[in-house]
Amino acid sequence: MNVQFKKGVLDLCVLSMLKESDQYGYELANTLSELIQISDGTVYPILRKLAMDGMVTTYLQESQSGPPRKYYKLTGLGRKTLTALLEEWLMFSRSVNQIVGGDGK
Amino acid sequence: MTREEYIAELKKQLRVLSESEVSDICGDFEEHFSIGLSQGKTEHEISAELGDPKTVADTYLSDNMEAASGYTATAQNNAAISGQINQGKATDGKAPVDLTGARLFVVLFNLLFMVWVAFSIYGTLIGFWAVTAGFIAAAIGMLAAIAFAPIIAAGLVVAALAMFCFALCSAVINFYLTKWTVIGTKTYIDWNKKIYNEGF
Repeated sequence: MNVQFKKGVLDLCVLSMLKESDQYGYELANTLSELIQISDGTVYPILRKLAMDGMVTTYLQESQSGPPRKYYKLTGLGRKTLTALLEEWLMFSRSVNQIVGGDGK
Repeated sequence: MTREEYIAELKKQLRVLSESEVSDICGDFEEHFSIGLSQGKTEHEISAELGDPKTVADTYLSDNMEAASGYTATAQNNAAISGQINQGKATDGKAPVDLTGARLFVVLFNLLFMVWVAFSIYGTLIGFWAVTAGFIAAAIGMLAAIAFAPIIAAGLVVAALAMFCFALCSAVINFYLTKWTVIGTKTYIDWNKKIYNEGF
C-alpha cells in the first residue's frame, strides 16, 4: 500500500490499539506490521513521539521470558486526542469513499 | 544484518542526538531483538522486519527537529508533562556542535590569505576603471586641443571619437567584471558566515 496513506493514520492506529490495554513495543509492531504492512521499525519512532507529546506514558514490567518489557499506556490527553482523531478520520474516510465511489455513503 | 550491526548502524545515524536519547532509542530496539529471538526468530529475520536502520533513524531525526522548532504545538504544550525533551538541544534540533575550529579557520584564512587575494582582485579592478577614465580624459583633452590647433581639428575629432569608443568598450567589460566580483564576494561572505555559525 502507498506509504503516504499509512503515515497519517499510524498515530491513530497506535492510540486505538492502546485504548483497551497497555502493550509493549514488540506487540504493537507485530500487529501493525501484519495488518498494514509497515516495517516493525516504524512503530518505535511513533511511540517515542507520542510519549514526548504526552499521549502515552511508559513503564517497565518483568516477563517470564527475556528482559523486562517497556509497556505503553494511554494518558488522559492521549484518550482525548484519540477521540478527536477518530472522529476526524471517520469523517475524512467517509468523504474520500464518496469521492472515489466506495460504499461509505 | 546481525543485531549488533543493526544497532551500530542505528547509533551511527542518530549520532547528532544526545547520548541519553540514543541509548534510550537503542534500548527499544535491543528489547525488540530480545523478544524476537525468544520467539524463535533469527537476528537476520528481525532486522529485515524492522526495516532499514537509516530510514528508522531519519524518522527520529525529523521528529526531533519538529519538536525542537516548536512545529508541533502539542509537543510544546506537553513538554512539561513528558519532561523528555532534551534541554541541551540547539534551536535547529541538532546537538550543539563545537564551532571553535571552524571559527578559527574562517578568521585565520581571511586574515592570512584572502586579504591578499582581495587586494589583488580589487586592485586590478580599480586599475581597469582607471584605464577607462584615462581614455575619457584623453578624448576630452583632444577636443580641448582643437581650440589651440584648429588646423588639425578633423584629425583631433576622429582621434577623440576613437578614444570615446575605447572608453565605452572598456567600461562595458569593466561593468561585467565588477558585477561578477560583487556576486563572488557576496557568495564568499555567505559561505564564511555559514561556516562561522554552523561549522563545516
